[in-house]
Amino acid sequence: MNTTCSPRTCAPATSGVTESLRKPLYNVNGNAEAYEVRIEMPGVPKNGVKLDLEDNILTVRGERNTTVPEGMKALHRELSPLSYLLRLRLNTPVEEDKMTAKLEDGVLTLRLPLKEVAKPRQIPVL
Amino acid sequence: MSRERNTIPTPKLKTKLIQAMKLIRTNPSNLGRVSDFEEWFRHPFAGLPSLGNFINNLGEVFPGVTGDRLAVDVHEDKDNYFASFELPGLKKEDVKIELNNGLLTVSAEKREKNGDNESSYSLTRSVSVPDGVNVEAIAAKLEDGILTVTLPKAEHRKPRSITLN
Repeated sequence: MNTTCSPRTCAPATSGVTESLRKPLYNVNGNAEAYEVRIEMPGVPKNGVKLDLEDNILTVRGERNTTVPEGMKALHRELSPLSYLLRLRLNTPVEEDKMTAKLEDGVLTLRLPLKEVAKPRQIPVL
Repeated sequence: MSRERNTIPTPKLKTKLIQAMKLIRTNPSNLGRVSDFEEWFRHPFAGLPSLGNFINNLGEVFPGVTGDRLAVDVHEDKDNYFASFELPGLKKEDVKIELNNGLLTVSAEKREKNGDNESSYSLTRSVSVPDGVNVEAIAAKLEDGILTVTLPKAEHRKPRSITLN
């Protein structure tokens, strides 16, 4: 089980957010125990990450620090200053209480352990 | 097992993805609207040729240079120029910064193993350093996936007020 998510295949829940946000790049890997979601959020500090799981919809927000220091002016811009929002609809029950999140070098890694009922099992032939 | 390559999307891909989602707010110079952008960008520096050429893509000058183009932001304050690059997931040791002949080149290379998938990518970008930068004092830091190169202005290029006698 190993999927590279594209916006189409993972069918994120549509958001009715009007605020200017962008969807981060992400990648989902999984095995029999857990899903691992890796989200690229450069520029987001630890306290800028907000996670929420409700009705099987995982919402990840990453707020960038957008305040420009005084006296600083932009000469050339290619990078988007927008903060990030990602919503994923989970089709498998996960252990909400055992979810872990790690932010390192601008990459947020979430581990979503599968609930016992969702794990694959072997059925012995009698 | 999926045979898809588990490659981390490069900025080029990123641009396409973002564009596809019609969420784009910035104006990456490798898209079609280059001319608008350049006009906007060059105008404020008319008469300052070194600044007008501040941004330079090595790949355009030397097509043999490999690696995808890395996006850059350039800011300025009273004392410094700042060039910022997005390098999520990269460590200090994956990034190389070189200054050669007035060109500052940032290149990043990374190999990743993820189960059966192995991916590698390289990114590069060059910007020409304007005159009046104290090249000895250029410094760089990598924080939260953003590389910031600080290029201090040399004393004689800093703004100052001249008193009338």
